[in-house]
Amino acid sequence: MITAEQQRSWAEMLMSHPDADQSGQGPGWLVAARKAARQAVAELPVLDRKQEAWRYTSIEALLKQHFRPALNTDNNPVLEINDCLLPDFDTYRLVFANGRYDPHLSSIKELPRGVSLGSLRTALTTDPERLATWFGHSANHSAHVFTAMNTALVNDGVFVHVESQVQLDRPIEVIYLSQVDEDPLLMQPRNLIVLDAGARATLVERFIGFGQSAYFHNNLTEISVGQSATLKHYRVQDESRCAYHLSSLYLSQQAQSRYHGTTLAFGGAWARTEYNTTFKQEGAVCELNGLYTVGDQQLTDFHLDVRHSVPGCASREQFKGVLYGKGRAVFDGRILVEKQAQHSDAQLTNDNLMLTRNAEVDTKPQLEIYADDVKCSHGTTVGQLDPQQVFYLRSRGIDENAARKMLCLGFASEILDSIEVPALRDAATGKLHDTLNAAVEAEG
Amino acid sequence: MLSIKNLQVAIEDKAILRALNLDVGSGEVHAIMGPNGSGKSTLSHVLAGREGYQVTAGEVLFEGEDLLALQPEQRAHKGIFLGMQYPVELPGVNNMMFMRESLNAIRRARGEAELDAVEFMQRVREKARLVELDEQLLKRNVNVGFSGGEKKRNEILQMAMLEPRLAILDETDSGLDIDALRIIAGGVNALRSAERSIILITHYQRLLDYIQPDTVHVLVDGRIVRSGDKQLALELEEKGYGWIEAEAAA
Repeated sequence: MITAEQQRSWAEMLMSHPDADQSGQGPGWLVAARKAARQAVAELPVLDRKQEAWRYTSIEALLKQHFRPALNTDNNPVLEINDCLLPDFDTYRLVFANGRYDPHLSSIKELPRGVSLGSLRTALTTDPERLATWFGHSANHSAHVFTAMNTALVNDGVFVHVESQVQLDRPIEVIYLSQVDEDPLLMQPRNLIVLDAGARATLVERFIGFGQSAYFHNNLTEISVGQSATLKHYRVQDESRCAYHLSSLYLSQQAQSRYHGTTLAFGGAWARTEYNTTFKQEGAVCELNGLYTVGDQQLTDFHLDVRHSVPGCASREQFKGVLYGKGRAVFDGRILVEKQAQHSDAQLTNDNLMLTRNAEVDTKPQLEIYADDVKCSHGTTVGQLDPQQVFYLRSRGIDENAARKMLCLGFASEILDSIEVPALRDAATGKLHDTLNAAVEAEG
Repeated sequence: MLSIKNLQVAIEDKAILRALNLDVGSGEVHAIMGPNGSGKSTLSHVLAGREGYQVTAGEVLFEGEDLLALQPEQRAHKGIFLGMQYPVELPGVNNMMFMRESLNAIRRARGEAELDAVEFMQRVREKARLVELDEQLLKRNVNVGFSGGEKKRNEILQMAMLEPRLAILDETDSGLDIDALRIIAGGVNALRSAERSIILITHYQRLLDYIQPDTVHVLVDGRIVRSGDKQLALELEEKGYGWIEAEAAA
């Protein structure tokens, strides 16, 4: 059991850490936002099992960790970026080393006109007024203690602004490298992604943790997709097996806009992703896909909160999980269709493949519908590999482990095949291959 | 090639096969007929190594080796092929990739070089023509959305690709219309050779009009109660199984 006092003092200790001191830094509106968030921490409820959204995901172990906020450049270790780059993947690349933007590892050359891309820290100095237009408009700073903490210590992150009708010729790639050998670090990138009307872009975020690095990656991303704009957003979470990871995504969509989000969650000891989608105007489409694998000593948690508050929007959510060993997963998909949101189209599915008896998933699709002319469906499955399918493959000369692996890959292929960036799809397939090798060999 | 002696098999302690004896020589085609529940499919599953069957007595030798001691994949490596009565669908598993993995797994086990993509493509195209299988089906997921006839053709395609020493075709004719039956039979006939034996398991004499067996066996209540030539199948077609069941019970 954890208490409100424990949670408060843990967060307070981090925020008062000498390394977290940035008093007076940044524009006035940011100083005010930090201060308000810090105050909110003291009043926010404790995230215990009584909170429905945290019922299956305990933060107890997290609160026992003593992190040091990684706000200073001297946290940056020497990192070998070349090992992390994908072959045949030409991108505008931003690299964050232990939470801080690293211009030497990054590569942003020949940006088209109408595109701003760089670190939030820089943009706060050069263009604070423009940032004020969007900052904090989509996000709920006081959703819970972690979003408040992110805001209280805003320091660096990704800033993307694609102006009206501009189409990016290459994907934007953001790599978060974490390599921590000593004290566990707290890293809190704060990202702001803005696409004006008719803009098109692909954003790829890759979270990479080295070895047994211990850290808490508590990132918060605000995304605004303008009228008729399209954002394809891929996220590959491959944190270290000792890491805590929380992604809070806030998405705001204008008329006829399209957002395609895919999260692949492979790593972390404790990893949670929250998608919050708000449709501001009619005719928008939001598609969220996810694939997760969890084994021993791993918890992966997905929370979706999709709000249809205007008519005629569509949302598609498809999440698949492969669980092995004593892996645990949580899926909580909530779709709200408000009374005035007629002609909403919402479809949510979550399928789980359990390779072992000891794996566990708590899955909870929730459809709350207050409008009467809508097309909505949801479905959840939890199952094992079909022995008849395994036998079929074995009778064709394929050994049992290979057969099981082939069926798992088949199960995941729907999500992997939807990745439109070949280099990323190949890398993700390779990663899944390796994970399944380890999983299937361990069971066999 | 295959020698089954006094094979007794139970499912959850219920006896299904009771003292079954069968010898299949190299290059021979044997048909096994029999009423529902006589144990035909059990025999095919036990030969291929499916789980869930208790062998309570007897032995099965394949080229002199104890077949029942082998894993299903090892049996495939030795040259056993089971054409399934109900081929399962494998969502997300590409048909072509599956066949290549299968063929190369068998080749690896035999110490043969794997086929590269080009060699494989040539062979699969050639064999697909043999069973008149639309090449588009090769690009799809295994059996997913295939018609009944397409699934059976896909089975015979695999047989053609894997070139087994012993093919057991379990009710390959069930659910086929006459055209599909002719195509399947044509494929099987093209694969007949002096080195390859075939066991055809079927309810109906119809299949045997197209694939001429060397020997016909009648399986009743877990035993082969009569063996003969093709005439026996015609006799069954005319009179049904009743008389032979009555004889067997007597």
